[in-house]
Amino acid sequence: MDNVLGRDFISDLPQSIIETILTKLPIRDAVRTSILSSKWRYKWATLTQVEFDDRCVTLSNDKVLVENNLVKFITQFLFLHNGPVHKFMLTTAYLQSSPEIDQWLLFLSRKDIRELVLELGEQEWFRAPSCLFSCRKLTRLELVRCELDPPLTFKGFLCLKYLSLQQVLIAPDAIESLISSCPLLESLTLSYFDSLALTIHAPNLKYLCLEGEFKDICLENTTLLVAISVAMYMTDDIAEHFEQSSSCNFDKFLGGVPCLERLIGHIYFTKYLSIGNDLGKLPITYCHLKIVELYQVSFEDMKEILVVLRLIVNSPNLQELHISVSNNNGSSNTTAAAEAPDLDFWEKECPSGCMFKQLKTVKMTDMFGIPHEMDFIKFLLGNSPVLEIMSVAPSVYVTEGRLNMLIELARFRRASAKAEIIFIQD
Amino acid sequence: MSEGAMAVVKPEMKSYIWLQTADGLIQQVEEEVAMFCPMICREVLQTGMGSSKTYAISLPQRVNPAILGLILDYCRFHQVPGRSNKERKTFDEKFIRLDTKKLCELTSAADSLQLRPLVDLTSRALARMIEGKTPEEIRETFHLPDDLTEEEKLEPLRNMTDDPRIRLLNRLYARKRKELKEREKLKNVEVEEERVDERSVDDLLSFINGGDGDSKGVRCTKNKKKNRRRKDQPRDSSSNNENGNHQKELNGLPSACQNGEVDDVPSQSKTLNLQDSASVPFSPKLEFDDGDIDDELDPAMKEELDREVEDFARRLNSVWPERMQEILSLGQERRLVPISMNGNGSLKTYTGMLLIKLNLRQLCPFSYLSLLVFFFFFENFNLD
Repeated sequence: MDNVLGRDFISDLPQSIIETILTKLPIRDAVRTSILSSKWRYKWATLTQVEFDDRCVTLSNDKVLVENNLVKFITQFLFLHNGPVHKFMLTTAYLQSSPEIDQWLLFLSRKDIRELVLELGEQEWFRAPSCLFSCRKLTRLELVRCELDPPLTFKGFLCLKYLSLQQVLIAPDAIESLISSCPLLESLTLSYFDSLALTIHAPNLKYLCLEGEFKDICLENTTLLVAISVAMYMTDDIAEHFEQSSSCNFDKFLGGVPCLERLIGHIYFTKYLSIGNDLGKLPITYCHLKIVELYQVSFEDMKEILVVLRLIVNSPNLQELHISVSNNNGSSNTTAAAEAPDLDFWEKECPSGCMFKQLKTVKMTDMFGIPHEMDFIKFLLGNSPVLEIMSVAPSVYVTEGRLNMLIELARFRRASAKAEIIFIQD
Repeated sequence: MSEGAMAVVKPEMKSYIWLQTADGLIQQVEEEVAMFCPMICREVLQTGMGSSKTYAISLPQRVNPAILGLILDYCRFHQVPGRSNKERKTFDEKFIRLDTKKLCELTSAADSLQLRPLVDLTSRALARMIEGKTPEEIRETFHLPDDLTEEEKLEPLRNMTDDPRIRLLNRLYARKRKELKEREKLKNVEVEEERVDERSVDDLLSFINGGDGDSKGVRCTKNKKKNRRRKDQPRDSSSNNENGNHQKELNGLPSACQNGEVDDVPSQSKTLNLQDSASVPFSPKLEFDDGDIDDELDPAMKEELDREVEDFARRLNSVWPERMQEILSLGQERRLVPISMNGNGSLKTYTGMLLIKLNLRQLCPFSYLSLLVFFFFFENFNLD
């Protein structure tokens, strides 16, 4: 409208604010601001946080064209860029391994890069060049689908706090030495690794997230761990390994984490912990453990139940408990009946007078209604004086036994006057 | 301001903080509200200011009373701990419904008070105003002056966006340039007599070698012809290939040169030097140019020279004409034509060429010529 009389009130804002605004735009729009006016010509060129994805270029069916356009765009951007780059993110499905990526990494390694996120396409995995390992100031590294081969002279990322590797090809000893050579590491995520036997040395580690086929996980020197989330997949190889194992996994894994506040286990985690559990027990108390979520627990395997018991008995401040039952065995009712369940099992296994003084919420899902499950609920209800919610959800495979389950639930004695039993019918 | 109302409703023991804006206006604000701003909080804790009217905390210049009111409203809402995230979000959405100018001022003021959440909120709102809009729309929203030249607009973006608008602009611009060049070409033709576009290479060579001038021949080249005939005769005799075989002539000339013709000793050595570096197509031109060394370079000569050079260049390399045209017209008409063919590199080379041409022409005709040729040669590579 009135460009002559109206005053320009945005161009004179401090550069830090302009950068904040431009950072909130998709990178393509941020670069386009260079044609707004003479003052805006290079305001975008000093951005320190850049995020590239497939929206930077117009998509079409010609994959090669899209890939070339994306490469051109990023190369030109970096070429015209001025100043340090602290954060570089590239998420793309079109770009795979390409020599230009090596050049970009070399360029970034000279620009004080601190956060690097690379998620590339699925065909040919990108092999990280050695200049990646010379980014001294890296505090955050996330790689998806690439090959890592640290050079022999690599001494570690001394500032790295956050490491996430997903579908990364790296030798087992290389990954161990990578983890242990990052003294400030606080958060570690490893996803989709194959048959990895891992020992983790990370004195400052607080958050650990593992997912994949792990043969063995040993947490040594991780005393500051606060939250653990593990999903363990099973292969025949690993099953065999489990059978031959002669050490107590529970101790190896949860033996040195006194500060643990949250534990989440998926798939075969509980089974993993159950191996060797009867071989000597370290008296560990998890004073800070507040939330325990264990999925796919098999209530027919006594050993797994013992693991659950050991955990909750040694966690005086436990507040929330989620247990989901494994549905591996289709007709679990019959097998359980054949075993002649030990109905006093729970009372026998626990130290006398064991009360869950802080337990407020319990959620049981995918239940089949077998005796052990019901006894467990009974046990919890009877020993939780401040319990507020007991939520029970039957498995979708259970069609007839629901009413019986409900009848049983209604009978159980409750130690807490406030306890509500919520039966979820979906 | 609502502080007055608050003071009336709750005259209990509420502590207030005194703030002074840049225009001198002093007001008191509830402590918990004011302390929500990190800058004020720090002032109070470190210097103890703000406890009374005389010791009011002076706020940064960017905070005027109206904006301060808005900021305090924001603080007043958010400092209450019991609010749900949804409530806060709803408040924020309503809060930023301001005109653009106020929004910018608010961002600036919040930044000076180091109120990060508010800076993020307003920045996001401003970003939303920029995202997905055309440059014209953005300029209108923020009253930005449209003060970039066409070229500047295209320069860093040329390879970066494949925005159809930019591409269209490129094409239009290229077309305009072409038209401009055509127009100049025509103009030059008028000024310097007919340009003979139809002459073949053979015609030109025969012309060089002293053959019959075409009926369409340019009148100014008569002098040239004379000289050339003088120069070329000995060479022709040595190679014995006269007008019949022009192709051989082309090759013959350099070889004749290298055999060390007696006649033009001073030019010979220089020619040889240049010859080594020049490619075959250019050598005849060199010969041709050298023939003029002995002549004085009067203005008519200069013009002629330019024209011949250009003519020849056009024959041999179809891309040259426009370039040469511009250079020549530049020298003669003293007008700067924006040139940008394939990229920015050639532009630089042009300016270099022009400068040298203009400077050296008066100083040393020969050096000028050789350099001109050298640049032709040099530019040939640029085009590739």
